[in-house]
Amino acid sequence: MNIRGLKPGTVFFMMTLPAVLLYCLFFLAPVFIGFYYSLTNWDGFSLSYDMVGFQNYIDILQDKRFLNGLSFTLLYTVIVVFGKLSVALVLALLLSRPLKLRGLFRSIYFFPAVLSMITVGLMFNQFFYSLFPPIGEKLGIEWLSLNLLGNPDTAILGIALTNIWQGFAIPMVIFIAGLSNVPKDIIEAAVIDGASPVQRFFSITIPYLIPMLTVNVVLAVKGGLTVFDYIVAMTNGGPSKSTESMGFLIYQHGMSEMKFGYGTAEAIYVFILIGVLSFIQIKLLARKEVGQQ
Amino acid sequence: MKTRLPFRIISYAALAIGALFILGPLYLALSIALRTRDETTSNFFAPPTRLYLDNFSTVINKANFWGMLQNSAFITIISLLFMLIAIPMVSYAISRNMNKLYFKWVYTIILMGIFVPFQAIMLPIYRHMGNLELLNQTGLIMMYVTLSFSQGLFLGVGFLKNIPLELDQASKIDGCGVWYTFSRIIYPLMLPIIATILILNSLWIWNDFQLPLIMLNRHPDFWTLPLFIYNFKTETSFDYNLAFAAFSLSMAPIAILYVFTQKYIIGGLTEGSIK
Repeated sequence: MNIRGLKPGTVFFMMTLPAVLLYCLFFLAPVFIGFYYSLTNWDGFSLSYDMVGFQNYIDILQDKRFLNGLSFTLLYTVIVVFGKLSVALVLALLLSRPLKLRGLFRSIYFFPAVLSMITVGLMFNQFFYSLFPPIGEKLGIEWLSLNLLGNPDTAILGIALTNIWQGFAIPMVIFIAGLSNVPKDIIEAAVIDGASPVQRFFSITIPYLIPMLTVNVVLAVKGGLTVFDYIVAMTNGGPSKSTESMGFLIYQHGMSEMKFGYGTAEAIYVFILIGVLSFIQIKLLARKEVGQQ
Repeated sequence: MKTRLPFRIISYAALAIGALFILGPLYLALSIALRTRDETTSNFFAPPTRLYLDNFSTVINKANFWGMLQNSAFITIISLLFMLIAIPMVSYAISRNMNKLYFKWVYTIILMGIFVPFQAIMLPIYRHMGNLELLNQTGLIMMYVTLSFSQGLFLGVGFLKNIPLELDQASKIDGCGVWYTFSRIIYPLMLPIIATILILNSLWIWNDFQLPLIMLNRHPDFWTLPLFIYNFKTETSFDYNLAFAAFSLSMAPIAILYVFTQKYIIGGLTEGSIK
């Protein structure tokens, strides 16, 4: 039947080949290579190195810098997840009202999401250093007149604010999509029964939003834990190493501090952390969806 | 339900304040880019008094902006061409052979890639690609195509579940082979999900900083726009009028595209994340 005389099974097999070959060569191979180097003390350029077993893994757990990086990354994730999702939810509720100009506002709000994080990060770095302080002084607002990024205690906020500015838009449109699923007749029935707007929001809108909320949390958590571009663009890990995220530490150790083996071991920890977290979250999400049917 | 007037006013006021927060920084960037250094120190918010374009021409002429723009466009377009053939192809083969061990394994193993954050393989990629002498644009394109498979397969196979098998069978009875059925019947039906894959990946590649940083940072001739803007800032950290001209220029292509295709971009990004 087939012109070239190949069996359907063979054709199907050949159709998977480009993906399978590329995936083995450029994805699985690096994963295994990474694990191999995590067992060595290779510095990244010498010709020789030793196998050190799990020494890197043990050292990392006692490494203050790594633990600081871990706690920075976790705190950052919490701030960004809360910040992004609350801004997103408020704007989504506003944009779900029958307003004439809502299309225009949605377009404006979404624009930062299509920009590159490195450009936005560099831009806000300039704002924080040379623009906001004079503006704050003129207006007499104290927190604005200080450079958030220049202080180890507040630098995390400067980065998080930038991330929220750029990152709330995608959760916002996901919430909008969720809000459009709330059945109108249920709300109308609630209005007739005399439910107040607040009651309607908590007993009707929120339950319908739960699946979208889960999606948004999964995405925002992953985004927070893997923050890298903003760090490079805005603080480069400083001041006094207070903003070194996990991704940034891996890069620093592997690419510029000649601790390649050590960096790959850190990467394995990050992989376990993020892999396990997203796996749990996605399992939870799947259960919710089944429960809904 | 019609919204009452006071509610409408409050809503619009809140939305307008929000829009100010979004547009303000962008306006500032452009306004600083259009000034000389002396003019900047006076008042950032006032509109520029004259059209001063020297900052832009400096970025374009001295910093090889066009070259970087071309690199970015080239890498994005070639990667997408490969993806838009390879992803639907492997998705189709897998979705029609889920009962066979090989296809099931390929599906499972590629999907597991979703759980591997890029930073976990960042260093080994650098080493591996260095060994293969692929720390160049070819290597970068291959990496993008490879890293797109996990999500692409997830979206593609999910979509194909809703395309009935009867179509394949009918086409088989008509004497069409697997490849003909795929390319003439299935592929056109997959266009909606292909569009989603196209939008998600084009924005990702165009804006990506980490892979180019790992793979191309030592070869200025290969730089993409994000890498260019990063290095440009490092080199000219004291001239921020120039820096903002570079930021504005690097945002311009995507801004122009956004004006015309925002409906599809917003739709594609939302759909890609919900699934």
